This record gives sequence, structure tokens and C-alpha cells, in this order.
Amino acid sequence: MSLNASGIFLSAVLDRPVISQGGRELGTLSDVAMSPGDPLPVVHHILVKTKGGVRRVAWPDLALFNQVVVSLKGEPELLPELPEPESEVLMRRDILDKQIVDVDGAKVVRVNDLKLSLGGGNLCLAAVDVGFRGILRRLGYLKAWDLLGGMLHRRLAPKEIDWLLVQPLGDNLSQLTLTVTRDKLSDLHPADLANIIAQLPHQNVSAVIHSLDMEAAGEAIGEMEPEVSSRVLAQLESSHAADVLEEMPPDEAADVLAELSDEKAQELLSHMDPEDAEKVQELLEHEDDSAGGLMNNEFLFVTPDATAADALRQVRLLAAEIDTIYYVYVLDAEERLQGVVSLKRLLTAEGPEPVAELMSRNPKTVQVDSGQEDVLELVVQYKLAAVPVLDEQERMAGIVSADDIIEQFLPFALRWKQYKATRKF
Amino acid sequence: MTASVLIAPLRKISRRNIFMFLALLGPGIITANVDNDAGGITTYSLAGAQFGLSLLWMMLPTTVALVVVQEMCARMGAVTGKGLSDLIRESFGVKITFYVMIALFLTNIGNTVSEFAGIAASMELFGVSRYVSVPLGAVAVWLLIVKGSYRIVEKVFLVACLVYVAYPVAAFVSGPDWGEVMRATLMPRPRDIIVTPESVTMMIGVIGTTIAPWMQFYQQASVVEKGITKENYGFSRLDVVVGCVMAIVVAFFIMVSCAATIFKAGVKVETAADAAMALTPLVGQYATGLFAVGLFNASIFAACVLPLSTSYYICEGLGWELGVDKDFREAPQFFWLFTIIIAFSAGVILLPDAPLIAIMYVSQVVNGAVLPFVLIFMLLLINDRRLMGEYVNGPVFNTVAWATVAIVLGLTLIMTADMVFPGLIAKMMGR
Repeated sequence: MSLNASGIFLSAVLDRPVISQGGRELGTLSDVAMSPGDPLPVVHHILVKTKGGVRRVAWPDLALFNQVVVSLKGEPELLPELPEPESEVLMRRDILDKQIVDVDGAKVVRVNDLKLSLGGGNLCLAAVDVGFRGILRRLGYLKAWDLLGGMLHRRLAPKEIDWLLVQPLGDNLSQLTLTVTRDKLSDLHPADLANIIAQLPHQNVSAVIHSLDMEAAGEAIGEMEPEVSSRVLAQLESSHAADVLEEMPPDEAADVLAELSDEKAQELLSHMDPEDAEKVQELLEHEDDSAGGLMNNEFLFVTPDATAADALRQVRLLAAEIDTIYYVYVLDAEERLQGVVSLKRLLTAEGPEPVAELMSRNPKTVQVDSGQEDVLELVVQYKLAAVPVLDEQERMAGIVSADDIIEQFLPFALRWKQYKATRKF
Repeated sequence: MTASVLIAPLRKISRRNIFMFLALLGPGIITANVDNDAGGITTYSLAGAQFGLSLLWMMLPTTVALVVVQEMCARMGAVTGKGLSDLIRESFGVKITFYVMIALFLTNIGNTVSEFAGIAASMELFGVSRYVSVPLGAVAVWLLIVKGSYRIVEKVFLVACLVYVAYPVAAFVSGPDWGEVMRATLMPRPRDIIVTPESVTMMIGVIGTTIAPWMQFYQQASVVEKGITKENYGFSRLDVVVGCVMAIVVAFFIMVSCAATIFKAGVKVETAADAAMALTPLVGQYATGLFAVGLFNASIFAACVLPLSTSYYICEGLGWELGVDKDFREAPQFFWLFTIIIAFSAGVILLPDAPLIAIMYVSQVVNGAVLPFVLIFMLLLINDRRLMGEYVNGPVFNTVAWATVAIVLGLTLIMTADMVFPGLIAKMMGR
């Protein structure tokens, strides 16, 4: 087996003649099939395009495999012909020119070439070339370019990704592959993840979301513009989409559902846990630009007879699920707001102290139909992290957090930038 | 569903609701309306002005071909979730993609030049020099792409496309013999179909401008961007059909109004601006203004769409960074490509004695020459079961599409032959 140490590019051998030991031309190399290996996948057999169709030749039956020629050990008539397997992973058909997600760069890139290298008598798939060099190599312009670049002292740097870092997402490689292991995908910042998901073809979206844990999926979808996230959710199975919606804060879930058709929204709601669905349903009834439309109906509350210790227990119990935990609201049996205790006040209080004595009475509130300006005014004037919202019967309906209301008043240019970032063109 | 349900989301006018409403306008309708660009209006006006009603019979078969071709793109986009250059790259490799992209780049530069020619011509009707209108137009287009959101700009222009209503109005005011128009459209007599070098060129022009190669890429990219899947593909098909019919109806009325006035009066016209001028004495004093506004709107709209979408497909196919939210440093190829296209196209128009007619003509020829190849790639892709599953083409679609390939290829060959050996068509016709 002659092969130089640094390896060989797939593009260099594809479509090269395949000859027998005696020098008879059998056909051209049309594709290379691989099988799983440790640590790298290895070449299992090659596909030769002959006059009579495709012939498969096993790797051990090859004598030479390089950019000049591929040759067999013996004459084709004497070598066993492999039958067509039920499924095979072909480097050209399934990997070359396909998209992969480059998690480090948080973008989708294209496989321009594949690098093969010899290890332990096997030919392994060592790396994928995602750089411009790969394109030039396949177009046959790399030498000319390097000559020009050499004269100008500007060499084009190779951009290769080690195959060890590449992780297939689906069961077979014809699906999209990733450049990191699956669990690392969940570690990405939700905003980056949202950006990647928005770039993918819709067939792959559900595979990516399935590979995430529900919480990461919910966060990523919450980061998208409602227009985009509703599109992504519509592409998932209803039950799966409902699971993801349950993980999102109810106000974000409501924003997403508001973008969908009524039937689709009802269908998703019916798949959700009834308690979560009810919260979202309530929020859907309010006008978009009123306090009710902005509010989140998950907040912390205790009854007036609770102690500071009870309230802190409540915080610890629910903090994982609730967005805004800086205030614990004190509600009577009719859900009327009696007062509010900040987290800071609770932390500095003695355990047995009743909240009724710690709380500040007559908290600032808005109505569900109050305008956004009213909410902003309270947040700014009283430096609140969240404003409670009361319904028509003066019962507490939810809270509007400061970041949610400020987002509505960002300078137009800033919002424009965010909006554009979700667009391809 | 009642009308009140349809307009329910619009009961309250807010910025978001307006965005929502505009977002609902479908990719098919948008693509078809961009289709009536400067080149389109020019070609249809000239077809009517020079050949009267005798080319109207083409419109019906052209509609069928247009619907079939555009529907195929929409279907591919919906089923695969990938753009056309994506699919060409994944199925045919980087080499073929590279050369297809070069061809697309050249045709679209040609088309963009003709859009700037349209800006120059329409503004000259209002007495604005091209040395003012074209640089301003180029800077405005560039800023719109870099600073604005093209998707919203697109919809604003689309609303401005309502000026096309001027053409049906003009057609009715000019009062053609409608019986004659219907007969020329639906049942052409063999003696009405004139075959001369000029008419063959015009036929290619009409087909080439109606079914332009960039439209397939654009349509499919829009379907993908909208996130349409095979489940909700039914709406998309309707959207394509409605869009194509709208585009052809506008084209039809442009031809009829020019045929009923300019052709009948025997005025000789060379450009769409000439045609607009010629309409004033025949239709009324507002005609010129309306036509000029229509031409300007169409030109600047397409001058935004073409450079942006061209750089988009090229970067997509070759795997470069793209997106209007990036900058020159993050996505250099993308930004340089559309900057070069805009600068070059506007520059050509500003050259003293720029041969505008020749440039527009050559761009149509290249359009026509590239179209069959794009169609062949599309047909190979859409009949690939690994890709499309049960959504491959049926026999009827394949027949119509292959027939379109054969006819366009045949017409292009005849025209090229006539350019190389002048007088060939006349000889073939035995004159």
C-alpha cells in the first residue's frame, strides 16, 4: 500500500481509473463506503463504476490507492464481488458537499473535501476540509492559487475539522452531522443555539431539537423571534412541540402560540400539561401591547400568615421553574394583593418573622389593560425588577418583568438589529 | 371562513399587525411580481408595440410553463428545506456548482444593468439626468440592503406594484377590439403567427423575461425561508399559481395596450420609455407619468432583489458566510459580491454612449441560454426519489418541463445561429 504519511484527499482519488493487477482498466472510482471503527471510521469497500454497472470491491482486495491510480490485488474475475448492502454510508453521496454545524463558530459550514489517512493497515476518515482550499482543490485551481499566494506571501490557511470532533446527529450519516458531541450542544448559549437552528433545513430541525434536553430546547426557542419560533414549532410533532412549550415561560409560550393558526395553537395546547396550558391560555386572551399581553403569570406568592422561613422555602422550591424570583407577593384567600416582600428583605429577616410584618403594603400595580408606558413609568420611577398586574376583579394576574418591558422601549435601531439578525436575506 | 375571520388580525392597526399582514404575502406572488421588472416591462411593451396582437397566443403556453417551473421550485423547497443552489451543490458537487454560479453571476449582472437602465430611462421621463438618478439609485439600493431589512422593503415595493393597475386601465381606455384580442390569445390563426428573425428574437425575449433563471433560485429560497413544509405545501402551490397568473395578466395588458395604441398608430418605439411617451397622445396625459412610475418602481425593486439574491445563492452554494446582519469583515464574499454587482451595473449605465440596448439584449440572450441548464438540473433533482420521496414529478409535469427545455433551447439555438449567420431564419422560412 503506497500512501504518503500526511494522508490523501478524497477529491484526489474520486473518478480515478481503477485497474487490475495486470493493468486492465476496470472502471472509475465512484464512491468510497465506510464502516464504524475505533476511534475513526474506516474504509470498508469502494464502488467502481464499470460499463456493466456498479461493482463493489472490499478494501483488503486493493493493492494501490492514491491520486494516480487505484489498483486491485489480482484480476477482477478472481476477486469476490461484494453484494449491495442494505445500507451503506458513502463518503461522496452522504458527506461530501453536505452541511455540518460548526459549534465553535456557531454557524453552518459545508464539507468541501474529506481527508483520509492510513492507520493500522486501514484507511481512516481523519478530517473534513471546510475551507476555501478544499473548493480550489476540487476545481483544480489549488496549485495555481498557491503559486500566486506564494508570490504575494499570502498562503491560504487550511481549515480542517478533525473527524474525532464530528458527531453524527441521526442514526445514519446522511443526516446532518455536528462538530461536537451531542451533550455539548445543550451547553451552548441559547441565543447561539437559536441562531444555528434558524439556519438549518427543516428536516434537520426536529433531529437537533430531539437531541437537546427539553430545557435547552425551550430556552433556545424562547430566544427566537416569535415568527421564527412558531415556524420551528410547527415543524415538530405536536406532542414534542407541546413538551418544549411546557419548558418555556408561559409568556414566551403565549407569544409563540399567538403566531400560529388558531387550530394549531389549540392542538398544541391540548397536548400540554393542563396546568401549563391553562396559564398560557390565560395570557393569550390579552392584547399584545397591554400589560396583560406582556405579563408572565408565574410568580412567587405566600399567604399573609406565612413566615419568612416559609417564604424562603417557597423560593427554593420554585426558583428553578420561575423566571422572576426577586419578589414574593403576599395574597389573601381571594388572591388579592396585600403586599410584597423582596428577596433581599427575606434573606436578611429572621426565620420565624411573619411576612405580614416584613412586607411593604400598597405595592405599585397596573391593570391587565394598562398601556406599556404605565408599566415602564413604574419600573423606572420605583426601580422595580417586576410590576404586579391585577385583573378586573383586582386579583393578582401576573407580573411584568423589567427586562420584558424595557425590550419594548429599546431604541428602534437596536431592535432593528435584533430583528435583522434573525433573517437570512 | 367568513371575511370577518380573515380580517380579524387587522382589527387593531399597530406596527406589529402591519408586519404580520405583510409577512403573509406569499413567496410565489412576490417572485412573480419581481418578474415584471424593467426588462419585463420593456419586452412586453415592445412586443405589443412592434407586433401588435400577433404574439398574444404565446401567453397561455408561457403561463403553463411558468406555473410548472415555479411549482417545481416551491415543491423542492418545501420537501427538502434547502435552496436550489444548496441542492445543486449537494447532488452535483462543487465543480458544477461553481460554473453554474459563474453563469448565474453573469446573467444577473446583465439583468441588474438593465434594471439601472430602467431607472435611468424612467427618471429621464421626469427630466432627471441619468448622471443624477443612477448614482443616487445605486447608493439607495446599497444602503437599503446593508442598513434596512430587505424583507420589509420588498413588501413596500410590492404595494407600490399596485401602479400596474395602470396597464389594464390603459388597455380599456385605448379600446381595443376585445373579440379580436380574445381570438388572438386563445385561437391564433396560423397566418397570424409571423416567423421572422425579429419575431423569434422577441419570442425568446418574452419567454426569457417571463421565466428567468434567477426566479427559480429566488422562489425556492423564499419558500425555505418561510419555513413551508410538505404538510402546509398546499397553500404554497396556490400562492405560486396566483402569482404566476397575476404576472401574466399584467404582461398581457401591457401588450394589449401597446398593441391597441402604438402599433395601431404605427409609431416606431425602441424602449419602454419611448412606449410611455408614445402613450400620452393616445391614452391621456397621465399615462406617461403612470408608466414612468411603474417602470421606476419595477426597476429599483429588481435592482435590490437581484444583487442581493445573487450573492446569497453564490455564498450558499460555495459555503461562505452570508446574511445582511453580518458585515464586510464577517462575510466578505457576500458583501463584496453585491457591492461589485451594484457598482458595476450602475457604472456601465454611466459610461458615455453606453450601448444600453445591446447590453439589455445580450443579458436576455444569456438569460435564455442559462435557463435550459437550470431547468435540466431542476428536473434531475426533482425526479430523485432519495431527495423527494413521493413528491417526485408526475408524467404531466415532466412532459411540460422537458418541452419547455426543448423549446427554449431550440429557440436560443436558432437565434444564436441567426446572429452568427445573419439571414438564416429568413432563408429557413423560404424568403
